Amino acid sequence: MTSVRSIACIMLVALFALAPVSSAAEKTLTIGLLGPLSGGAASYGVELLRGAEMKVDEINKAGGLKIGGDQYKLKLISYDHKAIAADAATAANKLVFQDKVKFIIGNAVGATCNAVQTVTEPQKVLFAFVCWGTKNLGPDKPYSFRSMLSQWEAAEPFYRWIKEKHPAIKRVAIISPNDTSGLDTNTAVVKAIKALGFELVAEETYERGTKDFYPLLTKMIAQKPDMIDVAAAPPGEAALLVKQARELGFKGAKGWTAGTNPFNLIEVAGKEAAEGIWSPVNINVKSDFVSPAVRKFGEEYEKRYKELPGVIAVANYAAFDVFTKSMVDAQSVEPEKVLTAITAKPHDTVWGKVVIGGKDTYGIDRQFLYPLVISEVRDGKVVDVAQTVPAALKK
Amino acid sequence: MTLNVLVQALLNGFGLAMAYVLVALGLTLIFSILEIINFAHGEFYMFGAFVTYLAFTQVKAPFVLALLAAIVVVGLAGGVAERLVFRHLRGKTLNAFIVSLGLLWVMQAVAQIIFGIQDKSVPSAFSGVLRLGGVFISIERFAVIVCATLLIVALYAFLEWTRVGRAMRAAAQDADGAALQGVNIELISALGFALGCALAGASGALLAPVLSVSPWMGALPVVKAFIIIILGGMGSLPGAVLGGLILGVVEGVGTLFFSSAAVNMLGFLMVIAILVLRPRGLVGGA
Repeated sequence: MTSVRSIACIMLVALFALAPVSSAAEKTLTIGLLGPLSGGAASYGVELLRGAEMKVDEINKAGGLKIGGDQYKLKLISYDHKAIAADAATAANKLVFQDKVKFIIGNAVGATCNAVQTVTEPQKVLFAFVCWGTKNLGPDKPYSFRSMLSQWEAAEPFYRWIKEKHPAIKRVAIISPNDTSGLDTNTAVVKAIKALGFELVAEETYERGTKDFYPLLTKMIAQKPDMIDVAAAPPGEAALLVKQARELGFKGAKGWTAGTNPFNLIEVAGKEAAEGIWSPVNINVKSDFVSPAVRKFGEEYEKRYKELPGVIAVANYAAFDVFTKSMVDAQSVEPEKVLTAITAKPHDTVWGKVVIGGKDTYGIDRQFLYPLVISEVRDGKVVDVAQTVPAALKK
Repeated sequence: MTLNVLVQALLNGFGLAMAYVLVALGLTLIFSILEIINFAHGEFYMFGAFVTYLAFTQVKAPFVLALLAAIVVVGLAGGVAERLVFRHLRGKTLNAFIVSLGLLWVMQAVAQIIFGIQDKSVPSAFSGVLRLGGVFISIERFAVIVCATLLIVALYAFLEWTRVGRAMRAAAQDADGAALQGVNIELISALGFALGCALAGASGALLAPVLSVSPWMGALPVVKAFIIIILGGMGSLPGAVLGGLILGVVEGVGTLFFSSAAVNMLGFLMVIAILVLRPRGLVGGA
């Protein structure tokens, strides 16, 4: 018995003696994440978080990031801003001044991005987001990146494809939430459809969280559109829009320029109402169009969370990839050096090769660019029907 | 604008207004008896929708059974909430306000943990669309109007013609007076709270197949319910029905002429006007 105690004591002493040595060799890099984790836009925030969690776990399992002779384990801190701009500013202040983060990877909903940037830009904190606000990128915001194609990259090629493949569609009605993301999406879609010779017969907005769209749809359908684009509606609301449009007798084409999760749309709307809806930015992780890397990501995501990922989860996973690989390339966790590494070259990610571009649209190269796939819902399944390239990527 | 569009707009407004009237009636019943404004009332509506979701998807229950299950389960939950929490806060408006906000967040968080974040669909019990000329209404929305109307009539009959219902009205008018007449105020409070929550649960169950189900679905109906009861008058059953119809017409027809933001504003403008010009509401108190 005495010898057992002695061995235990020796092991304890050895553990205490070794502990400082191992912590000195291993550092922790804290990365922030913001998003609507509750409320009507929660599906965006939760996908952001899950995409980030998967990348963080993957990196930590592989031993962390080897930077400048140190081994960094990643730690993720996330805050819920409920898609409210004031809450987003508060959360950003917490991350930057309380948690001392230098990287915030993940945020959604345009107005909250503007709020976060009032903190991140002066503090030179690198910030990647999936918000669709037009003014979220610009020369005055050099530390900000959009990690997902926005309405400005998607609308024009999407409507060009509609014009070529479905020439009978002439009259278009669009509807989006009445916040920055929604209004900017409507602006981009209107610009694209007018440039391509379509007639805009209705442009509507609604309060996020709305469930009954009969009144707005009655007004829109009275204008006899050939197609209704539920442009920036999140999946649950887009589903109700197409379901209720069908109930009101609408039999025309349906588009979803900013569609992010067609699986959830089909689940809520039902396959009859969802039938035929096109979307240029979502991702079907089970499609043959996508890379093996995306398919593998989809399988692991489904295994872990019991749901299929939407495009936002993939986008934030890729954003984490670009940022962390750039830290290794720069051999630094200083934001300025990482920024230089991010913009220096294209990056291999789960999307395939991602180019950081967008100067013609935003005045600065901070937009992740990659080919977009147009999908269609057929008999309750998401089928990819075309692949096209944003104009900025062509250049 | 064609006549069809105008009739469609009126029908749109009327359709869901009746379901929101049920939420409003529950809210006003609880306020009358306990003098508590239950901000978590929308979450009992959400609870009813999830009970229906489970009844449909897990037990494959028919619609009527799912509706009854929602009424009973949510009513019982309301009774428990009254017994454990709200009974102790009777008349303490500020405390009850804070506690009900806490309950709101707790119920939302629990629903999020159990059911996840994505909207859920409840299969429709009544498929198909009714078409009258150029006016459309889905059969499931029509069923909502019928069921909600029947429930409102049943509530009216219960409050008017049953002993317990009359005791509730007496407690709402003057709790001390009712107690002196032998009314068991604690029991009546529990029953009133349970009945109020059951009405919200019924509304959630009726609208679950029409809309979709999510942990945050209670926010909008409770706002509409507040508008309805302020328009009609706190504690007034006919007032709640009238308030619901006015709100439905204003929202349905207003959307034809104004943006959705402006229409939302109209509801609150009516509330401000009523509170300034006729604080008792259009129909008046209990």
